[in-house]
Amino acid sequence: MSWNRVAVIGAGLIKMGELFDQSYEQMAKGAFDAAVDAVDLGFDPSLIDAAFVATQRGTLWGQEGIGGNTVPSALGLAGIACTRIENACPTGSDAFRVGCMAVASGVHDVVLVIGVEKMRDKSAEEGLLARAAAGHPIYTRGESAPVLFAPFATRHMHEFGTTREMLASVAVKNHHNGVLDPYAHFQSEVTIEQVLNAPPVCHPLHLLDCCPQTDGAAAILITSAARAAEFTSAPVFVAGFGVATDHPYLHEKSTFVGLPATVLAAERAYAMAGVGPTDIDMAEVHDCFTITEILDIEDLGFVEKGKGGIASLEGDTAIDGRIPTNTSGGLLAKGHPIGATGIAQLTECWWQLREDAGERQVKLNSGFALQHNVGGRGSGVSVVNILTRNP
Amino acid sequence: MAIEHSRLGRAILRSAKKPDISVRYDSPVTCFVQSVGVAAGRWRLPTSDVNQAWGRGGGRGQSAVCGPDEDSLTLAWQAADRALDAAGLSPESVEAMWWGTARPPFAEGPSWTQLAAVLRLAPTTNGFVVSGSSHSGIDAFIAALDALESGRLDNALVIASDAVSPAVGGAFEAIAGAGAVALVLSRTGGAAHVTGAGSTWAPVLDRYRGDSEDETRESYDGRLFREQIFLPMMAEAAAGSDATRWSIPDPDGRLAAIVIKQLSPAGATAALISGAARTELGDTGAAAPWLGAAATLGEPGSLAVMAYGAGRATRFDIEVTSPVPGADRVAADLAISNTATYVQVLRARKRLTTTGESVEMAVPPGSAMFVRGNRETLGLLGARCVDCATINIPPSIHPACVSCGGTKFDEVQLARTGSVQTFVINHTMPQPFEAPLPLIVVDLDDGSRIQLQGATDGSDIAIDARVELILRRYTVERGVPIYGWKVQPISTAQPIEGVSS
Repeated sequence: MSWNRVAVIGAGLIKMGELFDQSYEQMAKGAFDAAVDAVDLGFDPSLIDAAFVATQRGTLWGQEGIGGNTVPSALGLAGIACTRIENACPTGSDAFRVGCMAVASGVHDVVLVIGVEKMRDKSAEEGLLARAAAGHPIYTRGESAPVLFAPFATRHMHEFGTTREMLASVAVKNHHNGVLDPYAHFQSEVTIEQVLNAPPVCHPLHLLDCCPQTDGAAAILITSAARAAEFTSAPVFVAGFGVATDHPYLHEKSTFVGLPATVLAAERAYAMAGVGPTDIDMAEVHDCFTITEILDIEDLGFVEKGKGGIASLEGDTAIDGRIPTNTSGGLLAKGHPIGATGIAQLTECWWQLREDAGERQVKLNSGFALQHNVGGRGSGVSVVNILTRNP
Repeated sequence: MAIEHSRLGRAILRSAKKPDISVRYDSPVTCFVQSVGVAAGRWRLPTSDVNQAWGRGGGRGQSAVCGPDEDSLTLAWQAADRALDAAGLSPESVEAMWWGTARPPFAEGPSWTQLAAVLRLAPTTNGFVVSGSSHSGIDAFIAALDALESGRLDNALVIASDAVSPAVGGAFEAIAGAGAVALVLSRTGGAAHVTGAGSTWAPVLDRYRGDSEDETRESYDGRLFREQIFLPMMAEAAAGSDATRWSIPDPDGRLAAIVIKQLSPAGATAALISGAARTELGDTGAAAPWLGAAATLGEPGSLAVMAYGAGRATRFDIEVTSPVPGADRVAADLAISNTATYVQVLRARKRLTTTGESVEMAVPPGSAMFVRGNRETLGLLGARCVDCATINIPPSIHPACVSCGGTKFDEVQLARTGSVQTFVINHTMPQPFEAPLPLIVVDLDDGSRIQLQGATDGSDIAIDARVELILRRYTVERGVPIYGWKVQPISTAQPIEGVSS
């Protein structure tokens, strides 16, 4: 039996990209307006009594840290309860989880969860690559973002015979899906050969194995399942969620062919939703790098450990495949504005469950969609949210 | 000084009235050489490349130069590590360490203590850095010799290392070498011992680096130096020795041969043994006297080791009674054929830099994080869980065990060999990082797991490859050198003691 105490009544995002012409605040307003406009029966913003803001790093647009007041002010909602949440790459999905708990507790009634991330007011080198100089002065020195995942590719290839072609098939599929998603950062197909021949970024990952640094924002409106009918005749319910952690240094990993935090978070979310991997009709998973999606579909139980590469190459994860994955284009094509990413993924799941996804629409069987992020130091934080259209 | 000056050095050598400056150390002998270890910068720079860049023709030979992550401290560590290994002496047993170098990594700062930390010396170990000129290596030796003779110590570690930054465009640049040598000395016995010495001095200006200057330059007229300073002073310091093999520093590549010729007019008794190191490594400054002699410490007989620097000339006589441990691997440890271009060397010496800003380390070198962490990071320490034996690295960030949550630990020194668990080669980083940069997760032979940078370009790294940890300079942050361990393949398959296959 799914949890289903909270319902999503509206969701939306802005076109992702290098949004040099928009401020952090303007991006937030754009996403908020899109979510409000998406509420079927109309929505009065004054109903919102609390907001959770997902922003991972303020330093990229000159803020040492931001609290909960920046976004309400930009939305014309100054005065409401608002808390900023930061939890690495799952920042957006964790803010959603916390928002759901706030509603379910009865403390708050109608809650806005909004993710906003300004990645490109600084150069790409000053962003996730400058991470190389952060952390422990010796034991993580040189550890830019790709280093958090590339060692898993090296080991996965060694143990399971996963090939660069298999990795590349993830990028090809997600770029294809991105062409079908008007909100995606990239709107062009790539070929296996292009992925293989792209310049090296962090061996064994090359440029097209990596997601871009993207500006973006996404917003979701939630309320109690009991009140959902006031806003929509096609509510989507929160079936379950889970968050889990692993050690923050790579040398503390127990394995380099999987991410234990994902496995744990998924176990908790499946248990709460009363479903298993075979009940999932489509998934938006964390594909910051091609290898990450391969690890994800294994760790989430969609394919056997070690078979993620071949499953991708053989089309199991395509829109018309056995387990459609990253129909939105994923982080690889849609982009990865960190705080917004999870909420944008949830928006895609919401569209899919309401059969609003147009050319990207998957065939619904069980009526469940899964959203997943993993990241942070040592790739040690993971969140899984499961949505359902089943009451 | 009782020296009659004339225009030609060789005339002086023949006619000088030599004062008796010799000292005898052989009744009783109190300074034995237990072992020797050497190291040299990992690159070889052809002398002709530098000359060509400045429009000068020719230039024979090459010099050993440091890569971007090496300096006088990393070379000192490497030589000392090898010498201790050859002596079979545990670092905790070293009673004192004297380190001579013209270029300590901190002009004023913790050079000695950081070297002591990476060598894992005991807290009770004493000693100091001797600096000031290329005579510093012998000065460190003299400090140890005196301490042993006094009976205060039973052993001492003496290190001479140099890696100067020579003035760009000058003649010295083409021949400046980087090298190190370490000796384990004992008061009670060893394969070789000191029998005599001689020295003299004169207040003259020669090789020079002023306060606030970063480059070492030669501030003399070559002919004046040769004829009025170097040759007469070396002759004076050499007087009284009956050694048959001589290591003589050679500031311009030709002077040692002249000195040796004057020592043995008949050409029969005195042989120059430092020529090979000079040809292979260039002028290694403070390390030159002992580097020149290191290989022949494996052959019984009498030899003289000479030093010159900043107006001081000194000779020590050594009697080798049996092969000195470590001497047999000297040639192999210096035989590196990794040729670098002049541009690579200029970049490594920070003489050629890119424009634009570098990303700063998240914490400055003066941070409390380094106060807490330097000992465990430099000394390569771990915390072994009393309950489950998992080794947590580094100790200060692990109040609870990563495996079982236990909170009782024993501090352990990590193994320095292991196998690659997985790795990446990072190609895309902002300044000051330089690609390609391997980052390697290593399963050490003590069962622990660690992540460190690779010391090579990564092309020689593969999963399961056998690797060893070596000390390198990770970066120079806000002007402060930051040291840590890096990973490199073990070149030849060596059995690892205490580990079953």
